[in-house]
Amino acid sequence: MNNEQQHALLRKMAQLMKSGLETQTEPFPETEKEFAAILDELRKLDANDVEAKMVISGFVDHPYGPDRQRCMECMYYLVHREWCDLPELAVPVDADWWCRLWRI
Amino acid sequence: MANLLWLQGGACSGNTMSFLNAEEPSACDLVTDFGINVLWHPSLGLELGDNLKKLLNALTSGQMPLDIFVFEGTVVNAPNGTGEWNRFAGRAMRDWVSDLCKVANFVVAVGDCATWGGIPATAPNPSESQGLQFLKRDQGGFLGKDYKSKAGLPVINIPGCPAHPDWITQIVVAVATGRAGDLTLDEFQRPKTFFTSFTQTGCTRNMHFAYKVSATEFGQRKGCLFYDLGCRGPMTHSPCNRVLWNRQSSKTRAGMPCMGCTEPEFPFFDLAPGTVFKTQTVMGVPKDMPSGVDKTGYIKLTAAAKAASPRWAEEDIFVV
Repeated sequence: MNNEQQHALLRKMAQLMKSGLETQTEPFPETEKEFAAILDELRKLDANDVEAKMVISGFVDHPYGPDRQRCMECMYYLVHREWCDLPELAVPVDADWWCRLWRI
Repeated sequence: MANLLWLQGGACSGNTMSFLNAEEPSACDLVTDFGINVLWHPSLGLELGDNLKKLLNALTSGQMPLDIFVFEGTVVNAPNGTGEWNRFAGRAMRDWVSDLCKVANFVVAVGDCATWGGIPATAPNPSESQGLQFLKRDQGGFLGKDYKSKAGLPVINIPGCPAHPDWITQIVVAVATGRAGDLTLDEFQRPKTFFTSFTQTGCTRNMHFAYKVSATEFGQRKGCLFYDLGCRGPMTHSPCNRVLWNRQSSKTRAGMPCMGCTEPEFPFFDLAPGTVFKTQTVMGVPKDMPSGVDKTGYIKLTAAAKAASPRWAEEDIFVV
């Protein structure tokens, strides 16, 4: 994916959330096993089905929870590429977004 | 000339294989340069049957001095505390161990099985295995917590699965050449010279740890193995990245997470698929923090590190 495609996808994802896409923010995977179960769901998807990925992983376009968690501090976030490096997601993300696969 | 005897209990021979690959000094150097008389070893010993029994009886009776007793593998107590599941030279190995430890000047436990029980002692521990002086984190083990060898030292524990070959030979040389007084042991009776720093010390991926960039697959050349692959380097005491394996590499350098095998709790977690090579988290935060770091500090550190992360931290850098 080149820069232009990446930015286009980022804009599309932002638009989806802005227009009210309902995603599964809860339950937050408390344990590694629950986390792995969500990854299993993601692996069954077509890699290009970004909307389904967003729904299952619970994307929101703002910090989340009492600790104001956001992609910026997530271990999978690559700051310079503005990219989620979790192989099951592999999508562009904004630093202020969040999803329930957040890990630090 | 120091007499050394090496026996093996419940073991896979991994530490023997490791020992035979030692280079600084090598197993041969022990004999030729340091005057160690290897009385018998499972892979090197020549005596068989009655001749071996004769040798062992000469040692246990005090007829022949035993300077260094090296034990590899667990002390097997099954069934029902008899040790009959692991017989050697006509009797239970545990009985030989008990008698030899009474006459040995120094006792050295090599590898996780001999030190803490290792994998064989993992629940439900069907072989009723124990380490020589520990069972996992609990001091005591087969010999009891008050055991001291004739020279006045407890069992010298050299853990690892396997122990690095040079840790073994260097400690054996120290003991054989009268330098045992220079050894200081930590709370788990490991020589501090090897087991004070962490596996992370000297890791070539430390820059990725600092900037919180994670490797997501085995063998990946960029990224830290802690966050996503369960590397225990930040909380494991070992010099694996200082005293390199085969003189040139280590698990983390090869893209394989440290499994914490020099710590008494090894193997960690429940060994269920998907649990070992994964940093266990609670609500997204690591369950086991790097030693000395608390949760609040870790979150603050992560935020600062991400904000300061340079572009190169995200690139595929060849690290060996």
